[in-house]
Amino acid sequence: MKKLLAFLLTGAMALGLAACGSSSKGSADGSAQSDSEYVKANGKLVVGITDFAPMDYQGSDGEWIGFDADMAREFAKSLGVDVEFVEIEWDNKILELDGKTIDCVWNGMTLTDEVKSAMETSVPYCNNAQVVIVKADAAGNYSTVDSIKSLRFAVEAGSAGEEQLKELGITDYTAVTSQANALMEVEAGTSDAAVIDSLMAAAMVGEGTGYADLTYTVALNSEEYGVGFRKGSDLAGLLNDFFKKAAKDAFLEETAKKYGVQAALVEFK
Amino acid sequence: MKLIISQMPVVLESLNIGFLQTLKLFFVTLLGGFPLGLVMAFGSMSKFKPLSAITKLVIWFFRGTPLMIQLLIIYYFPGLVLGNPVWGGGEAGRFAAASLSFILNYSCYFSEIYRGGIQSVPIGQEEAGLVLGMTKGQIFFKVKLLQMIKHIVPPMSNEIITLVKDTSLARIIALQEIIWAGQSFMKGSKGISGAIWPMFFTAFYYLIFNGIMTVILSKLEKKLEFFR
Repeated sequence: MKKLLAFLLTGAMALGLAACGSSSKGSADGSAQSDSEYVKANGKLVVGITDFAPMDYQGSDGEWIGFDADMAREFAKSLGVDVEFVEIEWDNKILELDGKTIDCVWNGMTLTDEVKSAMETSVPYCNNAQVVIVKADAAGNYSTVDSIKSLRFAVEAGSAGEEQLKELGITDYTAVTSQANALMEVEAGTSDAAVIDSLMAAAMVGEGTGYADLTYTVALNSEEYGVGFRKGSDLAGLLNDFFKKAAKDAFLEETAKKYGVQAALVEFK
Repeated sequence: MKLIISQMPVVLESLNIGFLQTLKLFFVTLLGGFPLGLVMAFGSMSKFKPLSAITKLVIWFFRGTPLMIQLLIIYYFPGLVLGNPVWGGGEAGRFAAASLSFILNYSCYFSEIYRGGIQSVPIGQEEAGLVLGMTKGQIFFKVKLLQMIKHIVPPMSNEIITLVKDTSLARIIALQEIIWAGQSFMKGSKGISGAIWPMFFTAFYYLIFNGIMTVILSKLEKKLEFFR
């Protein structure tokens, strides 16, 4: 009786292992397929986002809207597939792409060298800058790039802001998990300053926001937003064509106006 | 303070949705972990060497690596290594992957608690049962089981309360549980941005729910006090 039970359990475990093995075979024929074919076969474009107004955020009915969300929806339509928005942990975006749990990262992503080397990126579609956030009452002292070098910074790990700090030769900063955490550090006084995206700073910092006593001073650089696909994906090229067409029939500009980002829009020729 | 009160309805709605996700993961883990743990306890106590060796290997792996890594492996490996994203990108897939990770992880801990409970029943009782002509199954269900349950309630309570809080780890694969919901207001969500308090406020949810669990579990312990 006991022996029988033991055999059954071993059998069940072996079967479990075999099941793992067989699923790997199924993918062999899938690898020859191009990325756009893969998306079309799935019938949906899975877009990895974070909650990031005005690019991707939820309207009052729970639907994802924003400049990026509207564009992604239209792009999926042009491919003839549905769009599915999935909130991801930003640190894991490359894992999500390579693991095929999402098909693109479309969330006001700065085109850094790291992003470009790990993903197939579109042409830039929006301009952005990295700005320094400090307490509003101290802002007067920190209006030049040289004056900020003595500050204790908090910055999102792996972000464009971190790159800027490194370029300035500031190495003694605190790396945190998100731009929002960097702001909290400044608000709580555990850091003197943070470096975040200007589009985000405009929406989140200053009067009438949750961080009314913070402000932004120096812009460290100018940079660009792009959309990221899996390395080698043909979807990036298709999106570039889509952007050109959307610029021509003014859809791009109208959508940008709707969300107040028209000043940052890149000109498509 | 006024700002917090005006933000309260939106934040609470969001936190409630997140906490529902936390509770779902919690109960699914218990539902899967209790029976699987028992199966693994028998596996590790088996006299059939290959079975007990495999079970012990599995327990070693799941107790020996961080749950966070297990979540990442179980969710991302099918797509990354096997080229077949079995879970999909949607919320249901993330929940299923998180559930599997938690069930596997916790059943390993449970199995060791069960093993301790079963082995704490004096061998004389089993011998007495055999003399009376009972089968092994009868001895387990009619003699040992209730005594085992009594012995394992305190260590199980510990695991159950830890599990409530461990569910927050599932946010690493973007499962939107309560801490995810609370943190989303720091960056900006549903028209509220830069609000830090919702994240800290989530602690009350855990505290109250764990209070309820503690009361239920100590009631159970009292109920089992009718024998020693």
